[in-house]
Amino acid sequence: MNKPIDLSRPTRTPEFEKRLAKRYRSERNFKLMGQGAILFSVAVLVFLLGNMLMNGIGGFQRAELTVPISFAESGIVGDEVSLTAPSAVQILEMQGMDEVVHRYAEEALGTEGAEQLSDQAWRDVAAALSDNPALIERVEPVAFNLAASSDLASGLAGEGSEEMRALASKLAAEGKLSENWDWGFLSRSDATSPQAVGIWGALKGSILTMVVTLVLAFPIGILAALYLEEYAPKNAWTDLIEVSINNLAAVPSIIFGLLGLAVFLTVFPNLRSAPLIGGMTLALMTMPVIVISGRNAIKAVPPSIRDGALAIGASPVQVVFHHVLPLALPGMLTGTIIGMARALGETAPLLLIGMRAFVATPPTDFTSPATVLPVQIFLWSDEIDRGFVERTSAAIVVLLLFLLVMNSIAIYLRNKFEKTW
Amino acid sequence: MTRIHDKIQADNTAKMKARDVSVYYGSKKAIDEVSIDISPDYVTAFIGPSGCGKSTFLRCFNRMNDTIPIAKVTGSIELEGENILDDTMDVVQLRARVGMVFQKPNPFPKSIYENIAYGPKIHGLAEKKADLDSIVEKSLTRAGLWDEVKDRLDDSGTALSGGQQQRLCIARAIAVDPEVILMDEPASALDPIATAKIEELIDELSGRYAIVIVTHSMQQAARVSQRTAFFHLGKMVEYGPTSDIFQNPIEERTRDYITGRYG
Repeated sequence: MNKPIDLSRPTRTPEFEKRLAKRYRSERNFKLMGQGAILFSVAVLVFLLGNMLMNGIGGFQRAELTVPISFAESGIVGDEVSLTAPSAVQILEMQGMDEVVHRYAEEALGTEGAEQLSDQAWRDVAAALSDNPALIERVEPVAFNLAASSDLASGLAGEGSEEMRALASKLAAEGKLSENWDWGFLSRSDATSPQAVGIWGALKGSILTMVVTLVLAFPIGILAALYLEEYAPKNAWTDLIEVSINNLAAVPSIIFGLLGLAVFLTVFPNLRSAPLIGGMTLALMTMPVIVISGRNAIKAVPPSIRDGALAIGASPVQVVFHHVLPLALPGMLTGTIIGMARALGETAPLLLIGMRAFVATPPTDFTSPATVLPVQIFLWSDEIDRGFVERTSAAIVVLLLFLLVMNSIAIYLRNKFEKTW
Repeated sequence: MTRIHDKIQADNTAKMKARDVSVYYGSKKAIDEVSIDISPDYVTAFIGPSGCGKSTFLRCFNRMNDTIPIAKVTGSIELEGENILDDTMDVVQLRARVGMVFQKPNPFPKSIYENIAYGPKIHGLAEKKADLDSIVEKSLTRAGLWDEVKDRLDDSGTALSGGQQQRLCIARAIAVDPEVILMDEPASALDPIATAKIEELIDELSGRYAIVIVTHSMQQAARVSQRTAFFHLGKMVEYGPTSDIFQNPIEERTRDYITGRYG
């Protein structure tokens, strides 16, 4: 039976169906726009990471000259005890280790080639001897891959002067010069030559600084958030504090550097460039973020949970620590991740408190001079030597990996504490 | 109003005695000079239309109104001769003696075991794990939940059904062995079967605990309570044995309400 459309019902009219189609269309369009936005962000991210990795891979390699050394004939003496002693390097230096290495280099590479061996190359040989004292009695030559000078390295890369390019291609053709993986990049510190630099000093500086920041900002931020949400009376003073904290979170980071310079370095003038001061400065910057996210997380805890605990006779402190804090912790950790990630990438405030110094040895503790990853990147990007370009990319890769590890730990912890109600 | 007065005079065994209790929210008077005696042997029901202040009044008995900054309570409420509205009253101890069950089930997002054990733990009622275990079993048994959950005590309390959650909350309240249990519309968020279970439970628990229940369901008040107080616009209109209130109310407003003329 074919009933005519009952046009008296407003939901059965052709106009209504037209409007319905329009509604579906706009929903489809909205979805498409959202997907487009996500696609665009992912594409940008992939491009950025891909670009960094491509450039960074070169930074994890370096040009190395192959030098065979026969220790038994070299005139260097030593035994297992003296070579593994802490002073082994000095003992070898006094025996003329650098000249021995140079002599073998001249033999293998010619005078011109040996000139392009980096000055510190003998230290790698000494370290190898120290690791394996048995080598000292070896008659047959042991081949060492030693860092080339940065001039020769740029020659190998097809840059630099005409003669270096010629020398590099000649040595490379003979199999005596090659680009090798440079794992030492991860264990050395800053140096004047891009062939000798490493990232460990800055990485350790970053780790120490982040530890100070976390230890200061996390507990203080969370206690402040708990007090403001759970205990503080609602009056003009707490309103003022709330506004101040919100403003503090929006203050440009370089201002915190000025504050650190004016306050912390006046109180501790001997701690210039120290991770302790850097961490304190970054903690000031991170704390407001943790307070704000912490307060939001506490607000999101349902009041019924508080009521339930109070009604059974829990004291206010027990309510906070047994119920509110465990439920708010995931949200607090989210804020901490954001704050710490921002602190890790921060350069400007640390420049002001002297963490831009040239630090050739990794920091030993919280008070020794240090630099951090982003500052190291900034410093290297400023170098004239072309060899630093790839090293800078490699340092960026290390920074990104550090960030990834730090965030993964935080997200793991957050998911572990996450509960439903 | 004579009947209220007679009742007060007659009942010297009352567990809790409220006298001229008024509650203000800021400048608004939510409860206006209410006096009532809560018997230890009966279930007392507070009924009345929405917004009449019955829940507000209930929350005075364990001072839960303290959590609302603008609420102010005047008058006196005695628990066995001690005025609980005094500043010197220890609220933590009071709430251990006067337990409460809320409208919406609010189990802690912890295991079923932890939900029950929490009260005894913070009050130090169990010295050994075995004592705690027996408190948990006893409380869950009394709340009629033991058989349903004994094999999954480590599951989250929030994973139970609504009715089970509410019985868990009742078990949580009786785990600290209170003298009075306040119930604020304990079945209003539950389906009829779960409601029936809660009502049975209230019946079983009465006598052991003084129970005060707020409900907007007159049938529920008639089924579970022995004493009923009718509230309207912040005043207690009538209080007496439940059968009298429902079959032979004195006040016209009470009669209008229970016959469904407004509500």
